[in-house]
Amino acid sequence: MRYLLLFALAALSISVSSASASFFDEIQKLTKPDSKEGKILSGATQVLSSSKDIDYKTERAIGESLALEGLQRFGNPVKNEALQRYVNLVGTAVAVNSKRATIPYQFAVLDSPVQNAFAVPGGVIFVSRALVSILEDEAELAAVLAHEVGHVAAKHALKSTQRAQLLQGVGTITAASVGGDKGKKFASAINDMQGVLFDKGLDKEMEFEADAAALESTYRTGYDPSAMIRVLQKLQKLEASSKNKKGSWFSTHPPLAERIARLQAQLQKYPGYSSLASVRDRFAKTAR
Amino acid sequence: MRITRSMIIAVALLLAAATAMAEEKRWVSGEGTALKAEASATSEDVAEVKVGTEVTVLESGGRWLKVRTGAGKEGWVYAGRVSETPPAAEVAGDDGGLFGAGLQKSQINTAKADSARSIRGLSPEAARYAKDRGTPEVYQKALDVVLARKVGARELKAFLQEGHIGEYAQVQGGDK
Repeated sequence: MRYLLLFALAALSISVSSASASFFDEIQKLTKPDSKEGKILSGATQVLSSSKDIDYKTERAIGESLALEGLQRFGNPVKNEALQRYVNLVGTAVAVNSKRATIPYQFAVLDSPVQNAFAVPGGVIFVSRALVSILEDEAELAAVLAHEVGHVAAKHALKSTQRAQLLQGVGTITAASVGGDKGKKFASAINDMQGVLFDKGLDKEMEFEADAAALESTYRTGYDPSAMIRVLQKLQKLEASSKNKKGSWFSTHPPLAERIARLQAQLQKYPGYSSLASVRDRFAKTAR
Repeated sequence: MRITRSMIIAVALLLAAATAMAEEKRWVSGEGTALKAEASATSEDVAEVKVGTEVTVLESGGRWLKVRTGAGKEGWVYAGRVSETPPAAEVAGDDGGLFGAGLQKSQINTAKADSARSIRGLSPEAARYAKDRGTPEVYQKALDVVLARKVGARELKAFLQEGHIGEYAQVQGGDK
């Protein structure tokens, strides 16, 4: 779950070095625009928001190229058409209720033994066979996919690298320009984004944002939004029991406890959530 | 008594007008949203409404809202399909949105997805990138298949219906 679980803390990691007890205080400061931390964050936001100038066609070309790198790294899609269709149905169900419902999304289960999920710009979303195998119902799958849709909707990967922003001035990328000067910028942007998506992970705030988006779109769709919390709790258990943390998402120490705590607080915004659908049987039939 | 009756009607009309002024706005946020004649997914479609359409809430009934569009169309909409803020406007290019170029085409694509190559797959830009990088063909082909999978609006509706999800939830809790 690179997107979900790996974190590049870089410039925004002001608060992370402090003890986790004061973590929430630090986050509180970030949200106050007048605080020192708030000013740093808003400065960062200004730099990051410039990705809005990359058009959809270019975004999609970046995404597909990154998807090719992702497949080489994590493995090809599993050969189970019923499962792949199912994941596309669940993913589309939450995507239509996301903050960016106007672009096409595609979903695929990759034959990877590492619990992992990631999204590339433009709407291609991958989830590993190993991650699907720890889920128990359709609402949990919907939550994972909705989290990834949240990253796409907020263009988190594009906002994560300086070089992606260099593309904003070059206009639409075409097949011809991929080979030329624009192509060099294109290739280096993809290289940087690979580092973020597959190695370092996204910024912590982006993960929080995608978690909140997952609650919102699962709830809107009619899935029990607390499924997102259940997924993170499963990962927490795995993290605690895993001996081999190297190379997996365990190695980056995602603050699962903080994410769970935040989600639990946000869940209060969704009255009657526990009466919503989990759809255990269909999930068991298709994804097991 | 006639006077009293007209007064009641007048007061009711005034109240309705006052309520209308205080009515809340919502924006259609879900692709493939339709206004329904009644607060039920199985009731008849009154009108299809596009993402971004502004609607006024006339009445609330649990998870369903009775709304009116700017064009004067009234009907019930599942609360999950509208949001309190307008969604970001965006044109996704030739695909024309999440459901591609429409249901018919989606179904054709779905049918063809299993056979050899698709109508829409890997973009020429990504294909060029793959060529320059020497990406093995097996990955290009695999991604091509992934990108060709499309879910049609009708297929999604049937899926949600079967799972008793959202607007298709059974009154007593649905499929838990």
